[in-house]
Amino acid sequence: MSFFKSLAGIIIVSSLIMAQGCAFSRGTLGEDIKSESVAAIMKTTTTKAEVLSLLGAPDRLLQVNGRDVFQYYRYDAKVGSLLLILINFSRVSIKGDDLFVILNSEGIVEDVILSKRTDGLEFRFWPFGE
Amino acid sequence: MKLSLSGLCPIFLSTVMGVTFVGCNVVRITLNTPLTPNDVAFIVPGQTTLADVITKLGTPDSITESYTGVVATYRFLDTKYSRINFGWLLKPFSPVDTDLIISRTGLGTDAFELLCDSNWVVTHQSFLRHLSGPRFNPYPF
Repeated sequence: MSFFKSLAGIIIVSSLIMAQGCAFSRGTLGEDIKSESVAAIMKTTTTKAEVLSLLGAPDRLLQVNGRDVFQYYRYDAKVGSLLLILINFSRVSIKGDDLFVILNSEGIVEDVILSKRTDGLEFRFWPFGE
Repeated sequence: MKLSLSGLCPIFLSTVMGVTFVGCNVVRITLNTPLTPNDVAFIVPGQTTLADVITKLGTPDSITESYTGVVATYRFLDTKYSRINFGWLLKPFSPVDTDLIISRTGLGTDAFELLCDSNWVVTHQSFLRHLSGPRFNPYPF
């Protein structure tokens, strides 16, 4: 009986000491890369002008292997904080979406590479482990 | 009904444990998914193409040109920050807020770089730094 009373005491004391609040924050950089716009880009047929009308001006213009590469990117950050009186845990997770459109010397799309890492981005609080 | 001494012990211990960790902050910041040597073990220089790498690892964060080919870079960050404020121990007894803070930050920045030839075949690969990963350790000295 005394065990349950002491256990209840621990829970009550711990709750009073520990419970305070939590916080969610989010930050983004750049516009979302729409999958339907990327799907509309066809290899060997879509032109540079069409790419620009679909996606707008690239965030970065590169010249690689004699080809123009349009790079579009977007970053998403999610912050979860567990705010306790005695100890605070925070976890900031940042991931980016990158789209590379490779154009040949005639200005025709040669390849499209898209990676959407932000789709699986979650709010996390626990800073330990993976 | 009074609580026995043995019944009070867990409460006392939990309170002492709590007070010991007074004013602690533990923060972790991750940018992209940190890559390990196991994640890139499939890359065979001279055989694997950049397309194969992109299929497994996603797009690189940057592609630049060098005199000997194309450099694709995957960047990631795993920052760990921990902080203890021992001044909180004096809060119940002191009329002023005193701080005695120790903290430490491990940035854990790294990048994985691939050098490809003009046919997009990987010729060299390496991590920028060979980090074992920072730990949560607030002791700065």
